[in-house]
Amino acid sequence: MPSTNMNVGRQIPRVLIIEDEHQIQRLLKITLEADHYVVRQAYSGRTGLIEAAAFRPDLVILDLGLPDMSGLEVLKRLREWSGVHVLVLSVHTDQSEKITVLDAGADDYVTKPFDPFELTARLRVLSRRQGSAVEAVVVTFGNVKVDLSSHLVTKHGREVTLTAMEYAVLHLLVTNRGKILMHKNILRTLWGPQFESHTNYLRVYMRRLRQKLEDQPDQPAFLVTVAGFGYRLNDKAPPINDGARPDLSPTGT
Amino acid sequence: MTGPGPTSRPPAPRRGGGWTPALPAALMRAGIDRFAMSSSTPEKLDRPIPRPLSRQLLEAGLVIAALTALASLAPRDYRAFSLIYLLGLVALSLRLDRTALLAAAILSAVAWDFFVIPPRFSFTILDVDDMAMFGAYVVVALVTSGLTARIRQQGEHLGAARERAGLLAEADRLHRALFESVSHELKTPVTVLRTAGLALRQAATGPQAALAEEICEATDRMDHVVGNLLDQARLESGMLVPLLDWCDARDLIAAAGAAVQRELGRHRLVVEVAADMPLLRVDSPLLEQALGNLLLNAAMYAPAGTAITVRAGIEGAGRRAFIAVEDEGPGLPEAIRAKPFQKFRRGTAANPGGLGLGLSIVQGFVAAQGGTVEAGNRPEGGARFTVFLPVIRPEAPPAEAGP
Repeated sequence: MPSTNMNVGRQIPRVLIIEDEHQIQRLLKITLEADHYVVRQAYSGRTGLIEAAAFRPDLVILDLGLPDMSGLEVLKRLREWSGVHVLVLSVHTDQSEKITVLDAGADDYVTKPFDPFELTARLRVLSRRQGSAVEAVVVTFGNVKVDLSSHLVTKHGREVTLTAMEYAVLHLLVTNRGKILMHKNILRTLWGPQFESHTNYLRVYMRRLRQKLEDQPDQPAFLVTVAGFGYRLNDKAPPINDGARPDLSPTGT
Repeated sequence: MTGPGPTSRPPAPRRGGGWTPALPAALMRAGIDRFAMSSSTPEKLDRPIPRPLSRQLLEAGLVIAALTALASLAPRDYRAFSLIYLLGLVALSLRLDRTALLAAAILSAVAWDFFVIPPRFSFTILDVDDMAMFGAYVVVALVTSGLTARIRQQGEHLGAARERAGLLAEADRLHRALFESVSHELKTPVTVLRTAGLALRQAATGPQAALAEEICEATDRMDHVVGNLLDQARLESGMLVPLLDWCDARDLIAAAGAAVQRELGRHRLVVEVAADMPLLRVDSPLLEQALGNLLLNAAMYAPAGTAITVRAGIEGAGRRAFIAVEDEGPGLPEAIRAKPFQKFRRGTAANPGGLGLGLSIVQGFVAAQGGTVEAGNRPEGGARFTVFLPVIRPEAPPAEAGP
């Protein structure tokens, strides 16, 4: 994917918001400026594409319901020449549209009504990824350390034994941490194109990985499911469920 | 396409008093060119109004008379004229009804016999070959007229069906656009409220933080109501097409619990998933929402501090998977137990609020993916809602050599 807008050396990330609702535009601007982004706004797909070329944003927030063209169309045209990270805003109703959009090269999505902090957290993940040209060799999440050069995985300092395929799945998640990895893409990469729809394979492997790496395999904090799409390695897992975390009684019934 | 709206929105339709035709405009932007389907009147749906029989018979008579006149010019080739008569009948079949066509077939046979076949101007046929020819003609003429009439009729039915299908598709498109438009218009302000509320809550201290918290709570409630209304509309319009995929029940339960985390704040959520719980073949967002609604329902009726238990496993010799939501509340009253999934039904113990759509949606969403829901009371007290889903055993991933 061409990455024409790696603005090396520039410190303040630029965000382009393509959204036709003025009120949401205003709110996003306030939220993002408080988070020290430089914000540019476009109210239609057409102007969004022009701004993407002129303003050279590091990140694009794209609403799927635009008046002049579909968000998918905007994304496809943008992807013809730019590898800029795109976060999609959508309403909950259309699952298949979200799948199509992620397939067309969106990096992440947030469902309306969204939490502003979740949005900025996702943007931080995307902009961090943008800057990190040199991949870290050791990646840590929770008590787990993954050494990508020696393939050594430890939890609490103790080595965790993984099968080759378990490691392959983990490797893919770790190198794409913070990002949604779609079922289809994982399956295609690891098993081959004819296995794209065999999500059951992934469910089995994710369950094993969680049992080996998560503190609470049934309430994963790091290897999280993105319902209907795939998985994400949440390496900066905030304690989301504090207070309301369910009791988990392992049962064999 | 979810959010039709103009590029630079004029402020007037938003604030101004009175209704503005914003919706039709929005629908047009959504791709519906004809908001009013005035171009297709009901009559157009039926076959074209038939012409009176007398006119059709007159037409048939004229054609046959012309052919007969033609035949009398070459009396020696009278046998060949049977084919020309047939050609005439086929031509007539494009314009005539079944009855008129049959009449034309008989008339042509009579005319051919009387005016053309020797001896002319008499019904008598002397030649045996002529007799056989005439008999064959009568049969072929009747069959041809019958068949062509039927083919034409079927063509007309087909045309009408196609037109009806076109209209239905258009109505469906209109419905969808309307749904998306309404959905967008409801969700946008909720998004604004939620975003602003959460930001305020983080920035505020003291009583203002408490007020911001109230805003957030009210927003969540509104979000649920809007969500339920839209889901119900989706169910009733038949727009719901489940996308089935393999899911881990633990994922579903965790996601459902996270989605209603705030509402479950005063309860203890206990999750018990059997070790042999198989993968489920379901539409995970739909099932997640169904479970979320069951959890919300439990939180609404069960007293604060009690446990809400989600139990999942298999039964019926492994043929059926279940996910049950159990509470320690008062249980379902007799009146509700008969039809717990009916729309707009609410138990009396409920906190004020709620539309009574939650359980009806649960049933709709579960049924859409081939499952069933049962409601009842636990012997220990409290209600239990159980979602049953068929178990389909997936093929295991290819085995690997050891690590």
